[in-house]
Amino acid sequence: MAKLAAKSEVSGSVWKIEVTLGQKVAEGDTLVLIESMKMEIPVIAEQAGAVASILVAEGDAITEGQSVVTLET
Amino acid sequence: MTVQSQPDDLERRRAKALAMGGEAKLARRREQGFLDARRRIELLFDPGSFHEAGLLSTSVTPKDQARTPADGKIVGYGRIDTREAAVVSNDFTVMGASSSATNGKKIGHIKRVATQRGIPIVFFGESSGARMPDTMGARGMGTMLGADPTQYQRMRETPWAAAVLGDCYGSSIWYTCCSDFSVMRKGAVLAVSSPSLVEQALSETVDPQTLGGWQLHAETTGLVDRFVDTDEEAIAALRKFLSYMPGHNGESPPRAVPQGAGANAAGIGQLLPPRRTQVYDVRKIIAALADRDSLFELKPQFGKVAVTTLARLDGQVIGIVANNPLFKGGALDTDACDKITSFLVLCDSFNIPLVLLVDTPGFSIGPEAERRRAPGKIMNFMNALSLCTVPKLSVILRKSYGQAYLNMGGGRNSDEVAAWPGAEISFMDPHFAVRIVHGHQPDSPEFADALREMERDNSVYGIAEIFSIQAVIRPEETRDHLIRLLEVHQLRRTKGVGEHLMRAWPTSF
Repeated sequence: MAKLAAKSEVSGSVWKIEVTLGQKVAEGDTLVLIESMKMEIPVIAEQAGAVASILVAEGDAITEGQSVVTLET
Repeated sequence: MTVQSQPDDLERRRAKALAMGGEAKLARRREQGFLDARRRIELLFDPGSFHEAGLLSTSVTPKDQARTPADGKIVGYGRIDTREAAVVSNDFTVMGASSSATNGKKIGHIKRVATQRGIPIVFFGESSGARMPDTMGARGMGTMLGADPTQYQRMRETPWAAAVLGDCYGSSIWYTCCSDFSVMRKGAVLAVSSPSLVEQALSETVDPQTLGGWQLHAETTGLVDRFVDTDEEAIAALRKFLSYMPGHNGESPPRAVPQGAGANAAGIGQLLPPRRTQVYDVRKIIAALADRDSLFELKPQFGKVAVTTLARLDGQVIGIVANNPLFKGGALDTDACDKITSFLVLCDSFNIPLVLLVDTPGFSIGPEAERRRAPGKIMNFMNALSLCTVPKLSVILRKSYGQAYLNMGGGRNSDEVAAWPGAEISFMDPHFAVRIVHGHQPDSPEFADALREMERDNSVYGIAEIFSIQAVIRPEETRDHLIRLLEVHQLRRTKGVGEHLMRAWPTSF
C-alpha cells in the first residue's frame, strides 16, 4: 500500500469536498473542488484508492501545489 | 590491381560499411531492444526506396579509417508513403556517432539537397558530441568547427522531424531543437552535456533521466512533442507527422480522402457542461469536430491549459489551438503561451490553416506569472498570431475575456469569428467587474442586480449585432461552418502558400 498525495494545480479556495474518509475512489474521480478564477477546478484522483486523510476544510485558502487529500493506493 | 579485382574490392568495401560498428556492438543493442541505424532507415522508408549518399565515407584521420564505416552518420534519400524525403541516421556503434570532418560534410550535403530540392529531413538522434581528440586544441577547433556558417541556420524551407533514440548530446540535440517536430523514446536522454561531464565540471552526481529524460521534456521543458516506448513507435510518429506536412513551404499540405466526422459529432453540444463554472475536456469537442481519427496532438503533457493539435477537416490539414478548461479552468499560463506560439509558427510556415476554439477566463495572473515573464510571453503569442498569413478561423465556445480575447483570435485577429449561442464575451469576469465598477461587495443587496446586468451585456448577440463576430452557430453546425469557410478562405492568389513571416523565428521552442 502506497500513499499518494492529491495536489491542487491552482491557488484558490476550497469550495467543496466531494469525498469522505475511507471512501473508495476510482482513477479520474473528483476529490475536491477548488474555486479559482470563478471556475470550479477539480482535484482528481490520479490512481484508484481509498481516502486516507483530508488535509483541508471547505473555505480554506490554498496555494498551487498544495496537497488536499491523501489516498491509500 | 587488375580490372577483374576491382569489383571485389568495391563489394568488400560496401560490406564493411554495411557492417557498421561490428556484430558485438550490434548484438548488444538488439538485446536491449534498440534498432540499429540502418534498420531505422529501412523502417522509415517505403521498402527498397533508400538511396544512400556516402556509403564508403570514413574518418579523415588515417588511424580511424578502418573503424569508421560511413563515419558514423548514415545519410541519403528515400520515400515515405511515396513522397521523397532525406535522412540523417546516427550510428552510435561507430565512435558514438561523434561529429567529425567527414560526417559534418555529409549532414551539410543532405541539408543543402533537401532545402534546394524541397524535401523534408528526418534526423535519427543518438550521438556523443564532438569527436575527440580531433576537436581538441585551437587547431582542432579551427579545423573541425565553424567552416559552414549555415550549419545551425534554420529558415523552415522544408519540414524537419527528429527522433531522440538514445544518448543525444552534440549535434543530435541541436538538430532536435532546430526541428519542427520531435519524438523521444522513453529511456533516451536529451541534454547539452553527458552526466559524466556534468559530474566532473560541477562535482555533482546526476542521474541521466533527471538531467534529460522524457519526463523532464514532457512536463517541464516542452522541448519534445511526443513520447513513445519503442524505436518502432518513434518511426511511426515521424511518418505520421510528415503525413500532415507539405514537402516544402512552397506548396500546400497533401489532402487526404475525407473520413467523415468523428464520434459524437451530432451530440457535440452535450459535451459542454450546463453550468458556466464547470470544467470539461476540450479534446472531446475537438475529436467530435475533426475528421475521424485525424488528431495528432503536440506537447500533450506540457502547458496543458491549451491543446495544440494537427487534424484534418474534410480531408484538409488544419492546426487547432484550443483552451482546455479541464486544467486551471483554461487560464493561459506562460507554458501554454510558448506552446501556442511554437505551434502557430509551425502551421504558418507550412501553409496549414488555423482553427482556434476559445473558452478561457483570461491569462493566469499573480506573482508566479509575472516571475515567469508572462507579459513578454503574451506578446510573443499575440505577435505570432498577427504575423500568420494562413487562414485563421475562430469559434468562441463559452467564454472569452480580456487580452486573451485578442490572443485567441477575437476581432480582426482571425479571418472569421463565430460563437456558440451561450458564449459570453467581456473584459473580465462579471463578479470581479461589479466590484471594480460599482464598488459593491458580494454580500451586499445591490451586488446581485448589478451582476445580472453585467451578465446580460456579455451575451454574444450584442457583439453579433455590431458585426464584431460574423456568426452565431449551434454547436452541431460548427463542423460544416468551418469546412465551408476553409473553402472560402483558400489562398487562391498564391495557390495555398502563405508569406512565412516567422520562418526564422523562434529557432527552437
